[in-house]
Amino acid sequence: MSESAIITTNNVNLWYKEKQALESVSIKIPKNKVTALIGPSGCGKSTLLRCFNRLNDLIDHVRITGEITLDEENVHSPGTDVVMLRKKVGMVFQKPNPFPKSIYENVAYGPRVHGVKGKTELDQIVEQSLQHAAIWDEVKDRLNDSALGLSGGQQQRLCIARTLAVEPEVILMDEPCSALDPIATAKIENLIEMLKKDYTVIIVTHNMQQAARVSDYTGFMYLGRLIECGKTIQIFEHPKEELTENYITGRFG
Amino acid sequence: MAEKFHTELKNLKTETLEMAHLGRFMLRSAVDALIRQDKELAVSVVARKEEIRAMEIRLEEHCYQLIALYQPMAKDMRVIACTLKVITASLRIGRYGKVIANIAKKISDQPHIANLMSIPHMADLVIEMIDDSIKAYESDNIEGISEFSARDDTIDALRQSIFREAITYMMEDPKSITRCTYYILVARYLERSADHACIIAENVYYMETGERIEIK
Repeated sequence: MSESAIITTNNVNLWYKEKQALESVSIKIPKNKVTALIGPSGCGKSTLLRCFNRLNDLIDHVRITGEITLDEENVHSPGTDVVMLRKKVGMVFQKPNPFPKSIYENVAYGPRVHGVKGKTELDQIVEQSLQHAAIWDEVKDRLNDSALGLSGGQQQRLCIARTLAVEPEVILMDEPCSALDPIATAKIENLIEMLKKDYTVIIVTHNMQQAARVSDYTGFMYLGRLIECGKTIQIFEHPKEELTENYITGRFG
Repeated sequence: MAEKFHTELKNLKTETLEMAHLGRFMLRSAVDALIRQDKELAVSVVARKEEIRAMEIRLEEHCYQLIALYQPMAKDMRVIACTLKVITASLRIGRYGKVIANIAKKISDQPHIANLMSIPHMADLVIEMIDDSIKAYESDNIEGISEFSARDDTIDALRQSIFREAITYMMEDPKSITRCTYYILVARYLERSADHACIIAENVYYMETGERIEIK
């Protein structure tokens, strides 16, 4: 990958107790691009994703070796502020998980935690984030309604807006569309396309067509190893590795 | 699902091979009709034009359906891309067979000039190229097409030589003009058929390696 990398992993190994989930993973995530991670269930794609904002720290008995850098700083160095790391590296999950609060409060929550207090400033952040997440027009007249009243697709875009509100550099998306219908999925995919202008997006998906549609780069993982990583068009038109070929043509997985 | 798709893909390839063999058969038979002045054979070649056209439509449709239903990727996608080209090339080869058969019908009552010059030899070489390209598609093996560039040059040279020879005969005897003009056309159609064999070869290369080459 010739573009400048925002995240780099070097020889990363990860164990859940005795079970090794990642094996010597070295990958460079290019800045302001969409990188998709594909592979069969249990291959380590979500585990790798969670390494980038140290979400694996929250799981007991996890051991990691190797180096992960964000903006050339080791995310595991003693000086790393995990809260700041997770502000820089936001995350959107498989199932939309809005807080049981109003639409406005869902988006304002993050900036408030990070010390933004002024009403005008918060209003501005909320509007901008909702606009960036392509949901503003649908919710602008009911910002004080409960977020739980939104449709699944709207909730997911609200969660993206909530992530954007703290101005991250990287957005991790773990199967962001798997609980959504095709129309809501298309909206999220369009949104991903727009987001890469300002952010770096890493998406884990089991849907290969989706990976092909939305990403610039694709990494194929298998049994904890990164088998192949390259430009999406190359991976889907003529992968170099036979394993990749067999997986994307549905011969296993 | 993947298993069903791969069975369908295999069937598509088998049917495409049938079409390729029909195109090749039409060209071979047309040249044989020309050589042997066999009007009946020529008529039988022309009669198959609808059949090969119907095959083209059906197989193309099959390719589009597989793309729409399965969104194939990697080699699966390349097999379909290549198959679409093989279908078109086979139709063209069959059509050149039909056109040559029409010529054979028209001049079957008149004696050959200079034993049809190099046309029979040129036809053999073209048919061999078509055979090798079809075999490469069938067997997923690009060995047989490695010399295609040089073989195509030979075909071009033969067409040029038939052209010059025909001009000479026409200058000598105006009564030969009709037949010699047809010979020039037949040589041109054979040369185009070899080009279609090259197109098949280029696409088989892409199907196998994912890389594009141009056979000049």
